Amino acid sequence: MTLPSATPAPPDVGAGTVLALQGISKRFGAVQALKNIELDVRAGEVLALVGDNGAGKSTLVKTIAGVYTADDGTMVFDGRAVRVGSPAEAQQLGIATVFQDLALCDNLDVVANLYLGRELRKGRVLDEVEMERQSWELLRQLSAKIPSVRIPVASLSGGQRQTVAIARSLLGRPKVVMLDEPTAALGVAQTAEVLNLVERLRERGLAVILISHNMADVMAVADRVAVLRLGRNNGVFVVSETRTQDIIAAITGATDNAVSERAARRSREEGPAS
Amino acid sequence: MNATRPAPGSQASLREANRARVLGVVRQHGPLTQVEIAAASGLSAATVSNMVKELDQAGMVGLSRSIRNGRRAVLVSLASGGGLLAGVAFGERDVRVAIADESREILAQQLMPLQADHVADDGMERAARLLADLAETVSSGVENISAIGFGLPMPVDSVSGEAGSDAVLPGWRGVNVTEAMAGHLRAPVALDNTANLAALGELRAGALRGVRNGCYLKFSYGVGAGIVINGDVFRGSAGTAGEIGHVTIDENGPICRCGNRGCLDTFVGSRALINSLAASHGPLRLKDIVIRALGGDVGCRRVIEDAGRRVGVAVAGVVNLLNPEVVVVGGLMAEAGELILAPLREALDRCAIPSAAATVELRPAELGDEADIVGAIHRASVLSHSNISIS
Repeated sequence: MTLPSATPAPPDVGAGTVLALQGISKRFGAVQALKNIELDVRAGEVLALVGDNGAGKSTLVKTIAGVYTADDGTMVFDGRAVRVGSPAEAQQLGIATVFQDLALCDNLDVVANLYLGRELRKGRVLDEVEMERQSWELLRQLSAKIPSVRIPVASLSGGQRQTVAIARSLLGRPKVVMLDEPTAALGVAQTAEVLNLVERLRERGLAVILISHNMADVMAVADRVAVLRLGRNNGVFVVSETRTQDIIAAITGATDNAVSERAARRSREEGPAS
Repeated sequence: MNATRPAPGSQASLREANRARVLGVVRQHGPLTQVEIAAASGLSAATVSNMVKELDQAGMVGLSRSIRNGRRAVLVSLASGGGLLAGVAFGERDVRVAIADESREILAQQLMPLQADHVADDGMERAARLLADLAETVSSGVENISAIGFGLPMPVDSVSGEAGSDAVLPGWRGVNVTEAMAGHLRAPVALDNTANLAALGELRAGALRGVRNGCYLKFSYGVGAGIVINGDVFRGSAGTAGEIGHVTIDENGPICRCGNRGCLDTFVGSRALINSLAASHGPLRLKDIVIRALGGDVGCRRVIEDAGRRVGVAVAGVVNLLNPEVVVVGGLMAEAGELILAPLREALDRCAIPSAAATVELRPAELGDEADIVGAIHRASVLSHSNISIS
């Protein structure tokens, strides 16, 4: 295994980085939805993606998930430059996405939803026993509170449905999981459940990209926060060193680019002293 | 009420006193068998049997089947009057809330991650809403909560009900939690330090059960201790007993957030541990360090070993002072198991006086991260009963 890899890893990708976007741009006709987006996420890290309505969050998620193809820029996954042409390709690559509508079938039970389209077979019949066993195993690993895996998804609470949707995304053994607004429209207890789940994913060594409007949730579970504004990067913040106010300022544009401005301010302050 | 009270010194008044005694014991210790009630109350087995029969007929206790020492037994617990007990325990990065029935059986609980330096209002608001949500899931309303046990990971003034001024969570400094929380939920609040609550939890339902003199060491983002003396948690004159994290280890050490120099917390607190790994491992959380150490990461193991040794030195001081039978180690860091217990035990053996060190037993916690909340429920239970007897 000492052969050099066919495609050399781009030089500016840090160690442990699973997914990196470099200069991603996307245009819909006259609308420049994304411009020169830089983003990277490491294994075992929760990266929150925040921004105002129309900032380009959803477009970016769909670009990563393979729904849209970027006009420009490169995407580096696991040290290789990749092109994702379709959602199926992204999934095969190891990028799982849980969209806001969850895309669950209400009339099917939890097991059927988890294995929809990739049912385990034993000869010519479905291996229900094995699917049920593995479903329990997976939900147990996620410490999920699901009363039974044989009840229709329609009878589950919002948090439990979110859990099922996330569990389903994990079946393909992804390296990156993207959650689009997982806590929107949930009660407090259910939000807590989902946030705990995000922590579980992080502990499993997955790279998690969390899109959310709720700053309290973001600050509770994220390691870093990337702010998008009008389709552009507007700073990446390390949560443990940042106040919520700074991030909100970056979202609203109260500061054009909070990170660079803070760096400038610091160098101004330190300048005369040194 | 007074008109029906039996004359003092009469047999009837003795009977009533015994009855109160049985109820008191069950209240304090939770569900017990009749033999255990007899042992705890000092009454004869025959008396207890009579009293329990009477109380059962009056609907004041509930009986359920159980097994003790391999034999069938009847468990006596307080009959639930529909009142609920609530527990809230804050950590540095999360809050755990639970709802229990009168017999302190936890009906529902939930952990919620929080921002590292959240403000008190936000934390209390979330805790209150979580409690309301949970109360609904047990098919009851938030108005049925009769008392709340409330824990904060910082020294709290048990007299004024205020969070300490040198708090780990800056957003909580000087906040009058008792008043604010009672305003949120319209129920009386018992405020305590989470280390004390965890000690109470382990004392009633965990590794400290039956121990008369012991110590619960809570090693999480900071270090705290809950001290058990004569079978009860010792709080000191103003509720700050057991602040082992602010024992001075190095008089010339770094400045601690409490304003002193070289406190234990400046060496083994989460910030110190995370900083010592920042250069080699990048930004980590405390839990990451424990997980990685368990996974075999040598750097993280070393940091945990060193922390265990330092804490062991401080615990040796406690052992010398109090001569406890048992020291229980709990909290997030205790999840590292022997990785932390072994160096802690070694330092303890080396630094405590041999006779005290020889008799003390170091045990891992039994309730894990639920110890605080179990203790909070017990505090709430005591508070709700003391309220009833007053009113």
